[in-house]
Amino acid sequence: MKDVLHLMSMYTKTTAKAWFQYRVDAVLKSLAVFLREATGIIVIWFTLMKFDNINGWNIYEMVFLFSLLFLTYGIMIIFFTGLRDFGNTVRSGSFDRFILRPRGLLFQIIFVNSDWFAALGHGGLGITLFLISAWKVGINWSLTNALYYIFTIAGGVLIQGAVFLTLATLNIFMLQTNSLKELLYWNMRKFAGYPISIFNKAIQIFMIYVMPFAFVNYFPAQFLLRKSDMSYSEIYMYLTPIVGTVMYLAAYLFWRFGIRFYKSSGN
Amino acid sequence: MSLRPYLAYAKKIFLNRSAYRFDNVMGIISTCLQFFIFWEIYKALYGTSTDIDGITMPMVTTNFILSMGLGAIFSPDDYFLPSKIWDGSIATEFLRPISFKGRMIAENVGNALFNLLFRFLPCLIIALFTVGVNAPASPAMLALFVLSAVLGFGVLWTISFAVQMTAFWLINIWSLITIKNVLINVLSGSMIPLWFMPRELTAILNFMPFSSVYFTPVQIYLGQLSFEEIMLKCGIQLAWIIVIYLLGDILWRKGQKKLIVQGG
Repeated sequence: MKDVLHLMSMYTKTTAKAWFQYRVDAVLKSLAVFLREATGIIVIWFTLMKFDNINGWNIYEMVFLFSLLFLTYGIMIIFFTGLRDFGNTVRSGSFDRFILRPRGLLFQIIFVNSDWFAALGHGGLGITLFLISAWKVGINWSLTNALYYIFTIAGGVLIQGAVFLTLATLNIFMLQTNSLKELLYWNMRKFAGYPISIFNKAIQIFMIYVMPFAFVNYFPAQFLLRKSDMSYSEIYMYLTPIVGTVMYLAAYLFWRFGIRFYKSSGN
Repeated sequence: MSLRPYLAYAKKIFLNRSAYRFDNVMGIISTCLQFFIFWEIYKALYGTSTDIDGITMPMVTTNFILSMGLGAIFSPDDYFLPSKIWDGSIATEFLRPISFKGRMIAENVGNALFNLLFRFLPCLIIALFTVGVNAPASPAMLALFVLSAVLGFGVLWTISFAVQMTAFWLINIWSLITIKNVLINVLSGSMIPLWFMPRELTAILNFMPFSSVYFTPVQIYLGQLSFEEIMLKCGIQLAWIIVIYLLGDILWRKGQKKLIVQGG
C-alpha cells in the first residue's frame, strides 16, 4: 500500500512538472480553458440581467447549477486524462509498455498522465462559480446538506469517469472512438448547464437515462434548491452516488472483459 | 498577377473537406444543437410574452440561425500560420512564387464556400422545417445582407489574421486564439442577441469590431436599419477591415525578419 502511494505521488509530481515546464504558457493555457468554459455562464449572466430568470431559476441558481458540472469535470480529469486520450495510447502502441510493467493497467493509465490545464481551468471555474453562488441561493449548509454535496460530487465524478472508461474500452475494439465521444459526451454536455425542464421530452430522457448528466447537476441542485420546475419523482434526487457507483462498476467490468481482446496495433 | 493558383488552392481545400463525410455530419449536428439549445433557452425566457422591447421570438430565432449559420460558414483557420511555424514548413512557404497572404485568403474562402453548402444550408433547411425563420425584409435587403455578411467575414478574417501574426514572437498562441474566440462568441451577438446586452456594455461595444461580424448583417436582413444607417454600418465594417488588416500587416512585415525556424 505504501509502495502504491509512493508511486502515485511520483507519477503526479512528474506529470505536473511536465505540464508546467513553461510557466507563463501554463498559466495562460489554464486561463484560456477557464474563459472558454465560462462562455456559457457569462452569456447566461448577461442574458439574465435582462430577463431576470429562466424557468424560475435566477442567476445565482444558474451559476450553482453550472458549478457542479465544472467541479466534477475538473476532479474527474485529474484521474481520467489517460482514459480520455486512451485512443492515442492504443494507436501509437505505447499501451504495450504498460502491459509489461508489474502494476495494474488501470492504475497506470489513471496516474501516468493528468491534464492539469483542464483540471485547473474547469476545476477553478467550478470553485469560482461555487463561491459566487453557494451563499446566495438559500442553501442551509447543515452537516446533512454538506455530506449530500460531497457524495453528489463523488457521484458526478464517477458518472463521467464511467463514460470515459467505457469509451476507452471501446477503443480496444474499434481503435477510433473520438467521434462517438464528440457525439455522445461533448454534444450532450452543451445541454447540461441548463435546467433540463426547458428542453423537450426526448432530450430530457436522453439526459437522464442515456448520458445521465441530469444526475451530475440538475437533480442534486433540485435537492438543495427545491425549484418548482421539477417534474420527476423525488427519488431521483438521491440517486447520484448510486448511479455513479453502478455505472463505474459496469464500466470497470466491461474494461476487464475488453482487455482480454487487446491486440497490439503494432509499431 | 494571375488568380489561377489561388483558385486551385481554394478548390483543393474544398475537395479536401468533402473527403471527411463523418466529420461533416458531426459538424452539422454540432451546429444544429448549438442553435437548438439557444432557441430552447429563449423560448423559456419569452414564456408567454410575444415581444420584449419590440423584439419578437421569431426575430430572435432568425438572429440565432443567421449568426450561428454565418459563424459556421466563416470559421477562419486560426492555425494557418502557427502550424507552419511549429513544423518549420514556413521556410518553404516563403520560397513559393505566390503570396502567402493570398494563399491564406484563398484557402479560407474555399473553406467558407464548403461550409456554406454543407453546414449553413443543411442547418437552415432543418431550422425552416422545425422552428421557422423570418423571410428577409425585402429582396433589396437580402442583397445588402449578403454584401454586409461578406464584409463581416472580412472583419472576422482580419482579426484572425492579426492574432496569428503574433505567433512569430510567441510561437505557441493557442491560449491567445482561444481567448480571442471567447470574446467573439460573447460579444458578437451570436450567443446573446445584442438587443438584450446590458446598456453599459452596448456603449463599449460600439467602439469594438465584434458587432460588425454578425449583428450588422442580421439587422439588415430583418429590415431594422434605414438605407443611411446601412451605408454607415457597412462603412464601419470596411473601416475595421482596413484598420485591423494594416495592424496585422505591420506584424507580418516585422515577423518575417524575426522568424525562428525550429528544426524544419
